Amino acid sequence: MGAGAPVSAHFVNNVLAAAASYIEDDPDHARDILAELGQFLSFRLRETPAPVPISQELAHVANYLRLQQARFPDRIQSDLSHGAGAGAGGRMVEPGSVQGPIAEALSRRLGESAGPVGLVLRAAGDGFELELSGQDGAGRERLGIGLTTVEGMLS
Amino acid sequence: MSGLVVLAVDDEPRALADVQRILAASPRVARVDTAGGGRDALLRLGEGSYDALLLDVRMPEIEGIELARLLRRFDDPPEVVFLTGHADAAVEAFEVQALDFLVKPVTRDRLDSALERIEVARARRGLRGGEHAAPRTAPEVVALDNPEGPGKRLVRLETITYVDADGDYARIHTADGQFVLRAPLGQLEEDWGPASFVRVHRAHLVNLTHAVELRSQPNGTAVLALHDGTELPVARRTVAALRRRLKA
Repeated sequence: MGAGAPVSAHFVNNVLAAAASYIEDDPDHARDILAELGQFLSFRLRETPAPVPISQELAHVANYLRLQQARFPDRIQSDLSHGAGAGAGGRMVEPGSVQGPIAEALSRRLGESAGPVGLVLRAAGDGFELELSGQDGAGRERLGIGLTTVEGMLS
Repeated sequence: MSGLVVLAVDDEPRALADVQRILAASPRVARVDTAGGGRDALLRLGEGSYDALLLDVRMPEIEGIELARLLRRFDDPPEVVFLTGHADAAVEAFEVQALDFLVKPVTRDRLDSALERIEVARARRGLRGGEHAAPRTAPEVVALDNPEGPGKRLVRLETITYVDADGDYARIHTADGQFVLRAPLGQLEEDWGPASFVRVHRAHLVNLTHAVELRSQPNGTAVLALHDGTELPVARRTVAALRRRLKA
């Protein structure tokens, strides 16, 4: 069974560096970042990857965005509240199938300039629409994230 | 030496804060300045001189590699040590003659060894009266071709046990497997000599730090045993010099 996009070592190492930076000044925050990273990795590196409900995948996206916010404080404004509708009917997806395309698009935007990035995820059609924008809505783009629904695991 | 003056450059503010903190805590460092990107770094470089730059590879606007290329045009360029989130990103670093590369988050020991390399390189440059030639030190890390997959693999020189000549290629043996490099053995002997690599035979270059025993053979040649059990032939004309070197 194919899993979502592989976890990026670059991402993990930079999150660890961000956590390390808080150890002296704000140890509770450092601990929270490590706990969030543990949660992220547990979701993606399971010994037996299996499809998950969309609600879990969206929680994974939120988890991912908190880690990115730890790396880039005050640069990322995200709104996932319009995405929940896509989970109707108990659809199952591969872990990382929504987070992967979001990570790709967000990393690209963060690398293009040093300014802020706004991110809104909405349920649209059979999947999601991701809207990204820069300072005051500049450089707005909308990307579709298609979903392949996966049958639940056989018991 | 009065301590290094270092400029740390990273677009990730928290990663920058982390490396700034451990640099400032090092007794080898006199002062740490920071820059949040390539452009900021160039402004800093225009204002003062630095012994070394710790440079993130991936940054918006001016990438770390581009900045390192620009630095090579300086009269007395600072040493460059790359700091990256992932080792794969650092392969290019060696094409711009970086002194070292570190993967974030870096341990204090590993940072200390990079700072020591900077001290050595600066001292040698000073002894040469401002000559701009790179100091004669072996690279700490080399980029090798992975015969079983695409792309390059970064390998620490100290982990290489020996090298065989294989046509136009050199076959590199490490504890993690074999790699290839398109280079004549004579070139590697010259480049890696300062790191204890010795040509023991027309077809073999050995890292003597991995050698455990030199056994003489009745015909005047010898066999050099490595700690991993490998045994390599030593050419007759090399035996005496090798014996002196190993004090065997």
